[in-house]
Amino acid sequence: MTTDYPFEAKPESGELKTVGTSAVRIDGLDKVSGAAEFVDDMDFGPGLLHAAIVESPHAYARIVSIDTSKAEAAKGVVRIATGKDFPYKFGMYMEDRYIFAQDYVRFVGEQVAGVIARSHREAVQAAKLIEVEYEVLTPLLDPKSAVADGAELIHPDLEDYTHVPWFFPQTDTNIAHLRKIRKGDTEKAFAEADYVLEDTYEVPRYAHCAIEPHVTVSKFDQADRLTVWTASQSPHTQRHLFAEALAPLGLTHKDVRVITPYVGGGFGGKAGVSMEIMGAAMATLVKGRPVKLRWTREQEFYNTYQRQGVVAELKVGVMNDGTITAVEHKLYWDAGAYVEYGANVVNAAGLSATGPYRVPNITNDSLCIYTNLPPGGPYRGFGYSEFHFGLESHMDRIAEAIGMDAVEFRRKNAIVEGDELAYGASMNPSGMLEAIDKTAAAIDWGVEEESDNPNTVIGKGIALFWKAPAMPPNSSSASFLKFNEDGSINISVSGMELGQGYLTVMAQIAGEVLSVPVEKIRVETPDTDRNPYEWQTVASHVTWSSGLAVEKAAIEARGKIFDVIHQVYGYEDDSLYLEDEAVKCRTDESFSKPLRDFVIDGIQTEDGTWRGGPIVASGKFMPEFTNANSDPETGQGGHPNVHYTVGATGVVLEIDKDTGRIWVRKAALAVDAGRAINPDLVNGQITGGLVQGLATVLYEDMRFDENGKLLNPNFTDYKIPTAFDIPDEIIPIIVEVPQPDGPFGARGVGEHTMIGAAPVIANAVYNALGVRIKSMPITQEKVAMAIIEKSET
Amino acid sequence: MVIANEFDYRRPATLAEATDLLANHSGSVRVLAGGTDLVAWLRDDAIAPDLVVDIKNVPGLHDLKMNGDTLHLGALVTFTDLIESDVVKERAPLLAEMAETVASQGIRNRATMVGNICSAVPSCDAGPVLLVYDTTVHLTGPDGDRSVDINDWFIGLRQTARTEDEVVTHLTIALRQHGGVYVKLMRYGGEDLAQAAVGIIAYPDHEYRVAFGAVAPTPIRSIRIEDALRGKPLDDALVAEAAAMVRDEISPITDIRASAEYRVRMTEVMLKRGLVAVTERLAGTGPAYGTRLI
Amino acid sequence: MNLTIKVNGEDWALDVAPADVLLDVLRERIGVKSPKIGCERGDCGSCTVIMDGRTVRSCLILAVEADGHEITTVEGISYDGMSELQTLFIQNNSFQCGFCAPGIVLSATELLDNNPNPTRHDVQEALAGNLCRCTGYEPIIDAVLAAGEGGSE
Repeated sequence: MTTDYPFEAKPESGELKTVGTSAVRIDGLDKVSGAAEFVDDMDFGPGLLHAAIVESPHAYARIVSIDTSKAEAAKGVVRIATGKDFPYKFGMYMEDRYIFAQDYVRFVGEQVAGVIARSHREAVQAAKLIEVEYEVLTPLLDPKSAVADGAELIHPDLEDYTHVPWFFPQTDTNIAHLRKIRKGDTEKAFAEADYVLEDTYEVPRYAHCAIEPHVTVSKFDQADRLTVWTASQSPHTQRHLFAEALAPLGLTHKDVRVITPYVGGGFGGKAGVSMEIMGAAMATLVKGRPVKLRWTREQEFYNTYQRQGVVAELKVGVMNDGTITAVEHKLYWDAGAYVEYGANVVNAAGLSATGPYRVPNITNDSLCIYTNLPPGGPYRGFGYSEFHFGLESHMDRIAEAIGMDAVEFRRKNAIVEGDELAYGASMNPSGMLEAIDKTAAAIDWGVEEESDNPNTVIGKGIALFWKAPAMPPNSSSASFLKFNEDGSINISVSGMELGQGYLTVMAQIAGEVLSVPVEKIRVETPDTDRNPYEWQTVASHVTWSSGLAVEKAAIEARGKIFDVIHQVYGYEDDSLYLEDEAVKCRTDESFSKPLRDFVIDGIQTEDGTWRGGPIVASGKFMPEFTNANSDPETGQGGHPNVHYTVGATGVVLEIDKDTGRIWVRKAALAVDAGRAINPDLVNGQITGGLVQGLATVLYEDMRFDENGKLLNPNFTDYKIPTAFDIPDEIIPIIVEVPQPDGPFGARGVGEHTMIGAAPVIANAVYNALGVRIKSMPITQEKVAMAIIEKSET
Repeated sequence: MVIANEFDYRRPATLAEATDLLANHSGSVRVLAGGTDLVAWLRDDAIAPDLVVDIKNVPGLHDLKMNGDTLHLGALVTFTDLIESDVVKERAPLLAEMAETVASQGIRNRATMVGNICSAVPSCDAGPVLLVYDTTVHLTGPDGDRSVDINDWFIGLRQTARTEDEVVTHLTIALRQHGGVYVKLMRYGGEDLAQAAVGIIAYPDHEYRVAFGAVAPTPIRSIRIEDALRGKPLDDALVAEAAAMVRDEISPITDIRASAEYRVRMTEVMLKRGLVAVTERLAGTGPAYGTRLI
Repeated sequence: MNLTIKVNGEDWALDVAPADVLLDVLRERIGVKSPKIGCERGDCGSCTVIMDGRTVRSCLILAVEADGHEITTVEGISYDGMSELQTLFIQNNSFQCGFCAPGIVLSATELLDNNPNPTRHDVQEALAGNLCRCTGYEPIIDAVLAAGEGGSE
């Protein structure tokens, strides 16, 4: 891999002053004081219109007719939109969606029509008056029946759909994409293995549950300018998809402006484009009037991306000494009615479904299967959380079967720098072994613990994880940087502050290079008209990628600063350095020029004229070593992933033997951040991600009825953690084996912290009770009934 | 969702005005107290009343006091009032133990216990506890005042003995020395509706009251289990005998919250642990009120 | 209907419909935006406001019910700068996306007003109705404990 970049950002002293410190978040005051403005908080004046959406009650049906006449006559109604207004396809990686349904609806909740009215109440009242006649069809609600012989085709025109070159749709099937990996000779390896374990694991669908629902305000003005204020992780990607989808209306990229203020949580759910396109499209029907579309909590559950479910068939072969020789992993993804984004989740999982192990013989099939459930899509972990459940459960079972300690077994097989990856490239530097050892030590691995309570037992578990950013090979980031009169700095980037601390980390990177404290740097949320390009804030890549763009801008600014000093004082550029907001010189210790003295106004020379002027700079980064092209039959030949972040997690839990209730007494999680730009924020990702992951295994899941209707689209019955639902003790462990091409060695950690949570609970439950649960979630009911079943048989 | 249906709203200043409004109106009417159920149902379009009568300005309905050995709980007493009341703490801590399991602080500050039993969902937390306290419900309506034994209160799913033109004014509970326990099955540590619940009171001389929540269309009392326990010192065998009766006493359903079988099994566990705890509490020992037993 | 209400110390007189919910009136008519719309059924706590000294869910209160009452939001308690609790939240990097923060600030404020020396369990109980999807609550609980007098179990 390419590891060296032609720049050097270390400070003069060799010791980092800003990077590596737990700086206070630069958005902390905004958020704690109530000043932080989210889209729904913005004022648009008395002209603001409100939209409500008419949705399909059927999982699969043909639209026979839509009668909007009563709604059109209703009080306050300004305009009605249906599929006829926008017969345009769109999609992130595969164009398989329409803005409003055309002839068919393919999931319960799919948008059929929209009402624009003067008030929200009037819009909702009028939406009830729209009469839609359906011819109800039989839905396909699970991936296995959707790939069965003779299954009806949910998208008969699949072969005509536009998609990225690394997708391989299977014509005349419901398989929208099949990612294959073939490496070595799996069949031979299984035949020669001392022990082979084969089993199936099931993972249901999950919801992101950002506390802020999706909301968008769109205005198409009299000058044909479309402005969209939106709660999004992806302002530029949204602009691009709006411009492409609405191109028939004459819109081009420069006519579309996306503004994204603070967003109230994303977790993948606000990546790409989902409901926002309805708002943008509807606004074109009411020129000059802003239109607000805000999802209810129910819609937030059933008509945004969901984490797709998977049936994972896994077969692993090992030798008696514990060496893994072969992995065959078949992942049947319930990708939902539209896979425009979700197919890339399937792709990413397929590339990496061996987990963080050195495996010479691999057969991976990752199948993206259309079903009549809501569209699958990105969710923190992006396919990895899902397949790690089975994989890491399986590894424990194999270790037990061959009589090896589960930690020792993992240590022996853990992938390390230079090992060959499933697709043929080599593994980046990683601190996996350190992560394993520190996690095991944190939970006193190997020490059995007895409960004082006769009703409970104690169990321990461990699980490893890895993940690479999943993105197009040429996804890029850019930054602008400018100094102000007082030596403070404004940085413009287009990554989103989702809560992870991105703005603060960007300030720390620039501050380190320019010797300016974080408190003097302002980094704001994006506006695509003013801020430079960023692909999306997903994939745990912005610390790395946008961080590199900011680092480059800071270095460019530093060069311009040195040029001015050289011009005026004659010091050579390479003798100059920045320290404490001033330019200093190695060859003249007496020289010190504060930045605030000249970064706008320049420096006056002896003849009274001035040199310099406002210091502005830009930076960009694109990984120029990646390549998504590979052989469709083997997956070999490309370099689709930039690098992997690895880690380990361990838990000590206590289980009530009568009720199945599980308390996580202690949870340790070690992740290799390369370099923690802000350790406190990395710890924040560990704690938050771990708790979110634990919830997916302990109680969350989406339940559908036999007609494909979601039964728990609310927090009353889709439980997310409260302040009571956290481990008694969380031990965050930051490992720092630098990423050679990362900013100060950093790589992303945002998603990784939830990936190991599900299998680690499965393994600890087994350790405590001798009961192996192979489907998520591992609810207290499931545990209790398993204990009862075990005791009664 | 926004409340799509419009309605009239009245806030009477006296009880007489309230009952007059309830008796003389057109269309459907709803009484509003804390509103934590009512407003949620309005938003869900689950109800669409023509008139909402807010009783919060009616004087006297906030009272929480002892009259001799009788506890008087006004219709507007909130769950937070129960938790923070010294009277409750000293004389009927079981009420506070139950109240602490209801939703969350911001809801408890508003939601009333009487509203809870008027909504009368199967999982209503107040149900099993008021049943074991032999509570009396006091109402007033166009025909004057009347009282209803709590055992006659719950008629069916979300149905009570109250008629649409009546207002519940207060509850009374005749107190004597007792130990109490409320055990609630939830899906996790945070707020949840009961998947099953058990309320028990132990009186001296091995006298018990036992009731269940969320395992039948209404909260239910189990006279058979009470009879089986009566007069016998509690030991493991008696606890097991009582638990063995649970399956025939309840009629839980399977829904997305829990399966019927799990509800049965957990009700057995809760009854066992509850009986032990309540007997200890009567004796002045046992886990402090508020301690979760499951 | 007439609504007379005091919000963050200011008197307001408005004409509202009975079906208008307090949360929406605060946000759209009075311009107080810190109470957020999260679930609109009392589950998430984003809409928390302090009414006559106690936290309530403004999504489950009709605006007309608040007639004659006093409402305080984070804007109100921040007029004179950050409270000690708010300062600790900032220093501790307690929040991530911050959408739940106004509600949590108010719930924790109510707790500390009534119980200046809460235990960890007390803090968990006070915050259990305010959902946060980002933080895992730990940095929030730590800050509230630090704001209490003892901060011990």
